[in-house]
Amino acid sequence: MIEKSTKAARGTVQCENTNINLLKANDFVADIIKKEMARTKTLLINITSSAGSGKTTLMQKTAERLKDHITMAVMVGDLETERDADRIRETGIQALQIVTGGICHLEAQMVHQVLDKFDLENIDLLFIENVGNLVCPSSFDLGEDYRVTLMATTEGDDKPKKYPKMFLTSDMMLVSKADLLPYVPFSVEAVTKDAREVNHELEVLQISALTEEGVDAWCQWLLEKIRLKQG
Amino acid sequence: MHETSIVNSIMRTLELEFEAAQLHKMSAIHLKVGILSNIEPRLLHNAYSAYHLSDPTYQHVALHIESTSLKIQCDICSHITDVENYRFICAHCGRPSKNVIQGEEMLIHKVEFIDD
Ligand SMILES: Nc1nc2c(ncn2[C@@H]2O[C@H](COP(=O)(O)OP(=O)(O)OP(=O)(O)O)[C@@H](O)[C@H]2O)c(=O)[nH]1
Ligand SMILES: [Mg+2]
Ligand SMILES: [Zn+2]
Repeated sequence: MIEKSTKAARGTVQCENTNINLLKANDFVADIIKKEMARTKTLLINITSSAGSGKTTLMQKTAERLKDHITMAVMVGDLETERDADRIRETGIQALQIVTGGICHLEAQMVHQVLDKFDLENIDLLFIENVGNLVCPSSFDLGEDYRVTLMATTEGDDKPKKYPKMFLTSDMMLVSKADLLPYVPFSVEAVTKDAREVNHELEVLQISALTEEGVDAWCQWLLEKIRLKQG
Repeated sequence: MHETSIVNSIMRTLELEFEAAQLHKMSAIHLKVGILSNIEPRLLHNAYSAYHLSDPTYQHVALHIESTSLKIQCDICSHITDVENYRFICAHCGRPSKNVIQGEEMLIHKVEFIDD
């Protein structure tokens, strides 16, 4: 637990130089999640993007591809509705909605509260679909092994420099809706260059749920990370 | 919104860190937030005022926010670079670096208490 300060006050104004992370309460819970996932050898992936970049569609596609090979489940954060979890359940895997009630990101506490609804011992891969927004979710560690950020070709290709924290803290950027590239003013090269200026270790994959371009590579990446986690 | 969660988190963190009797004497909170933290000082001040409407316990506690700029230190040549336009590249040797030494912080830097 966090140690309490018991220093007695002396003089009139007393200053305590603390330098405590102001999200310490969140990170404390994120650490508990991390330990639990290490114990059950479940790969935990936090999926972030702006609203509508294709997160739920990707969860559906991934489930269709992988559900006969591994056990996967999804936790979905949404401001108000249950729709995304319904869509994912239609593919035959377990999905649970976390309704945030207006909060624009998931916090570790919210994830931890629903963790016991999953049979983690038997789940190889657990996704967290975060609330669609590139700002707030970047600050909240959910105890994930990897953070994957989707950037749709229908969005402006200036996102990495507008939301640097998200790209700095991500491990993988998926350029989604790649099937629309011929019709939109979006340069994969420019966005990759910008994103790598922020984070030179960022992996980049081009993907389309419609034509299935990149879906194989994405699934291979996941299977490899599962293998690593399970040792 | 985001800022409201941040204020809640600050108050929760302080309550974990200090005894209730001491928090009673708290007169000021000093935050240090980097430009990478996505915290907008003006919005945070607004959220802090709004917080007191629902819980007036700390309404006399002042909030000070210091913003810090972005700096990286090169892993190879140790040179410190002021990051501009989010190019995380060493200005001396040109190598990329993720070693952020300033600008990412979200800290409760200092807390003041008044004794009566
Ligand atoms: N052309 C094309 N459209 C896609 C693709 N993937 C998703 N879409 C469409 O984009 C829209 C949004 O997709 P979702 O999967 O709901 O996006 P999301 O990121 O889960 O959205 P929120 O949860 O609301 O943030 C839907 O109309 C999808 O059919 C794709 O690869 N290509
Ligand atoms: Mg969705
Ligand atoms: Zn250097």
